Amino acid sequence: MTDSLGQFEQIVLTAILALDDNAYGVTIHAKVEDLSRPKKAARGAVYATLDRMEDKGLISSWLSEPTKERGGRSRRHYRIEKSGAKALRESARTAQRLIETIAQNLGGLAWKPPG
Amino acid sequence: MEAARLSEPPDWLERIVLVAIPPAAREGVAGDLWETYCSPRQYAAEALRTVPFVIASQVRRNLNLPAILLQAALIFIFLGGTATLILLPALLLRGAYQEVARPCPQRAIREAILMSSGVMALLLLIMAIWFPLAGRPGLDHFTWLNLFLLGLLLSPLLCLFRAGLILQGDRCTPACPHAFQKGELQKEELARGYRDFQHALLVRNLLEASALTAAAIAGVFFAWNGLLVGLFLLAALYLFVDAVPRAFPATEDFVSLRARYQQDLTRQKQLRRFLCWLWFSPVLMALHTRLMAEHVLQAERPITAMLDCVAAVILCFLAAALTSEYGGRIQENIGLLDRVREKISPA
Repeated sequence: MTDSLGQFEQIVLTAILALDDNAYGVTIHAKVEDLSRPKKAARGAVYATLDRMEDKGLISSWLSEPTKERGGRSRRHYRIEKSGAKALRESARTAQRLIETIAQNLGGLAWKPPG
Repeated sequence: MEAARLSEPPDWLERIVLVAIPPAAREGVAGDLWETYCSPRQYAAEALRTVPFVIASQVRRNLNLPAILLQAALIFIFLGGTATLILLPALLLRGAYQEVARPCPQRAIREAILMSSGVMALLLLIMAIWFPLAGRPGLDHFTWLNLFLLGLLLSPLLCLFRAGLILQGDRCTPACPHAFQKGELQKEELARGYRDFQHALLVRNLLEASALTAAAIAGVFFAWNGLLVGLFLLAALYLFVDAVPRAFPATEDFVSLRARYQQDLTRQKQLRRFLCWLWFSPVLMALHTRLMAEHVLQAERPITAMLDCVAAVILCFLAAALTSEYGGRIQENIGLLDRVREKISPA
């Protein structure tokens, strides 16, 4: 039994998943904004969510080598852990059921599932 | 050169932002803000939007509820409700802004000197104002001289204690979790280091749990506060239960193993902070009881009351120094782990 994810957590986890080896603060925030459009997401909220998910053991992080374009500072990279992937899969299944149910019931009103 | 400077935030602005970001998140967050820099206005606005979230997140991450409750209870007993309400947010923020390394020797010694001078000045002020105002005899010249001598003696004593802690920390660090300093580790080396840490922890937890149980039994005979005896027993029970090392699957990869190790280190840091304050609590409570005793409070023995206050403040300083030294050492190891790369062993 895994913890159920909040909507923002699902978005952040999906962003990390999509970015693979290039998942760090700036890229995760950009991807989150892309996934949650037209809503805007505060970068601070992304950091807070990353910290919370790391404490839950859903993701892990480490520091890269310092780089010049960051003023000699390191990037904190993130990666999904097994429990994170499992939680995300469960969330995706729930979302799939929601989409199907909505499509069945709103189908008559010419509603089409996204994508 | 000038063009390069334009793509960087101004030094003064960056320094302000760096101070505002809690140390544990500073590297990643400050680097991200730098990377997305466009103009000073954009940089400042982005920092203003981001940093409050980061501070709140660090407060949550470093929230050590048992330790905070214990500290709040001690403040309440000594200084009352208003002081507790004022100091509680300060304690929470202190946790969030905890340094990621042990305090440097100069800073530690400076703190000790400031502490002793500040305490003596404050107590002298209280004694000079409060006792005559309350219609009680003031302090004679001989007592004043005694207090100054005590103040002079306090600084070197605290500095000596602080220096001892630093030396002890220096001795522990190289022997501590193995060769993190190398920068590269094989997974097997990391797993071995983690097991060594767990073993050392098992021994320490069992010893401390036994000591806590013995102290609780002694507390019953010395008529300690029932709540305090209960806390000691509860802490001992927790340590006995917690002593069993958690198994980790052999299939776990380097990154997951490192994350698990770091989580355990953080947990230990939180636990030791609580235990440190718990060990000091009975003495602090005894000092408070003595201070509140009628003959001391009635100013028949002002010097005793004052010495009790000084002792209480010194004890709090010792507890804070011990926790910051141990916590700093753990944070250093977490930081080293953060930067360690996996060394792929030749097949």
